[in-house]
Amino acid sequence: MSSTEQGTSSAAPAEPTTAPESAAAPEVPESFYYVHGKDKVVHKVSAGALQHSALIHGMISNLGYTEEQAKANPFPFENIDGDILQMVVDWCNQHKGKPTPPEDTNLPKQKEKLFDLVLAVNYLEIKELLTYCCKQVAMMVKGKSPEEIREIWMIPTDAEDEAAEKEAKKRAGKEAAGETAAAAGDAK
Amino acid sequence: MSSHAAEMTLLQHFGQQEVQNKPKKHQFPLLKLPRVLLFDCIQNLNIFEIILFSRLSKRAKSIAKRIRWDPLNIHLTSDKDPQIWLKHDTVQGLDWIIDYNNQKKSSVYPVFETLLKGPQAFHSLFLKDNGNVIEDVKQMMEHICEVFRSPISDIRIFEESFIEWIIQFQPTIQCVWIRKDVITSVETMERMLKNITMTEFFGLQPTEIDKKFQITEPIPSRSIAIYNSFWITLPSILNGSNSIIRLFDSNLTAKDINTILKEWQIGNKLQSLEYLEIQTPKIDTFARPDYNNEILKDLNLTVSVDNNGRPNTVNIDNDVWTYTLPQTQPVYNLIRNDGMIGSIFGTYEVFQCGKTRISFYFQVWSKQT
Repeated sequence: MSSTEQGTSSAAPAEPTTAPESAAAPEVPESFYYVHGKDKVVHKVSAGALQHSALIHGMISNLGYTEEQAKANPFPFENIDGDILQMVVDWCNQHKGKPTPPEDTNLPKQKEKLFDLVLAVNYLEIKELLTYCCKQVAMMVKGKSPEEIREIWMIPTDAEDEAAEKEAKKRAGKEAAGETAAAAGDAK
Repeated sequence: MSSHAAEMTLLQHFGQQEVQNKPKKHQFPLLKLPRVLLFDCIQNLNIFEIILFSRLSKRAKSIAKRIRWDPLNIHLTSDKDPQIWLKHDTVQGLDWIIDYNNQKKSSVYPVFETLLKGPQAFHSLFLKDNGNVIEDVKQMMEHICEVFRSPISDIRIFEESFIEWIIQFQPTIQCVWIRKDVITSVETMERMLKNITMTEFFGLQPTEIDKKFQITEPIPSRSIAIYNSFWITLPSILNGSNSIIRLFDSNLTAKDINTILKEWQIGNKLQSLEYLEIQTPKIDTFARPDYNNEILKDLNLTVSVDNNGRPNTVNIDNDVWTYTLPQTQPVYNLIRNDGMIGSIFGTYEVFQCGKTRISFYFQVWSKQT
């Protein structure tokens, strides 16, 4: 290093690697939105957490709600059970602003809820959670015998499928006949 | 399906979501999922799980068939038990083996096992041999081919009825090996040769059929390996386009071999030939020099002093089986007009009874190979 450079270096203050606290940009307060399911229980969720849901993110991105407006207008998801929505909200909160790991140990463990969870997650378009849920569904039959798979996934036998189809056709026939009769009655 | 359509289907589904038979705690009504989700779920299954699921019902099979799985390499063989070997062409070091046996306690089937051998993993699914294993294997093969939309690539036929089955099910196949004494009649042999096209490899282990049987038509496989090959005649070889020919217990004479070499050098026939191996029947040991002279008669040969870059291996079966050639002397070279070199060499097996069996080798190569 030359002496000139040394001189310059010592004369000028070193450039700070981080901005002094006083100069930091003020943190933008996190905005919150409100959602409720079939049970009308309202959940307060941050916009960051809701980013996981492409559906909700799309809805809120242009709203510009104030806190009060958001509180007054919770998003209703009447087709999702309250406990399922709670699971979804919890998962979104746990994964807020984090890259999602390849295997997720924070998935809800209740298998009987998994069906409704898959439908809800698909509806809310939460891609990563849907991927985990689908993996979990597949895991249910790992190492199982055909009969166990049939039992777990409730796969009807061919005979049961045929009987159900016959029944459905019979019902449809009856309904059609009923409609024709009703139409004829109306015409009279 | 557009996202709107998918959403409408889903909303409709929510309306219909009254599950009559309420699932138990450990159950999941998979088939009640909308199709897109159902596919998303079963796409996570491994090969065995796909197979077991798709065999549960016609509906399950039709669902599994709707997914475009990576093509499978399907291979039937037997190692004491009949086995179906499956692997994805794109995934190295991972084999899936369905093995039919009855060595385990009845109640434990199916059994899943995994064996690691270095970088190779072998997943096995043991199914019970219920005494009807040949038919079970055929059905399973057909099922796998259908679901994975993949042909059988390789079959080791260890029971005669597989010949008729493969003629009906998939008459064109890459590789066929027929095990010892599976073919017991000329009729079966002729039917097999006429009706199965083996594009890459045809191997036949010793078989006891009428010694008068002969063929003059070529066998249209890239590579053939035939034991007890008395029935393969000179025209069958000359008119073929085989690259690899291995004939054991051949009835081809020294004069026939000499004709093959001359025709190869002229270049109108045997243009694809890469390797020819002929094991003669036992001849009198004292007749060996004459036999050799007959093979090499009227050929413009040079004696190869050293290897000169000649490969010492031959690819017998589509890169699966590489054969190391015997290193013997002398080696004679025959040069074709296009610069290809045919190296001729041989080995002898001398028996106490005063007989000798000659193994004749002819390897085609060029300075570039």
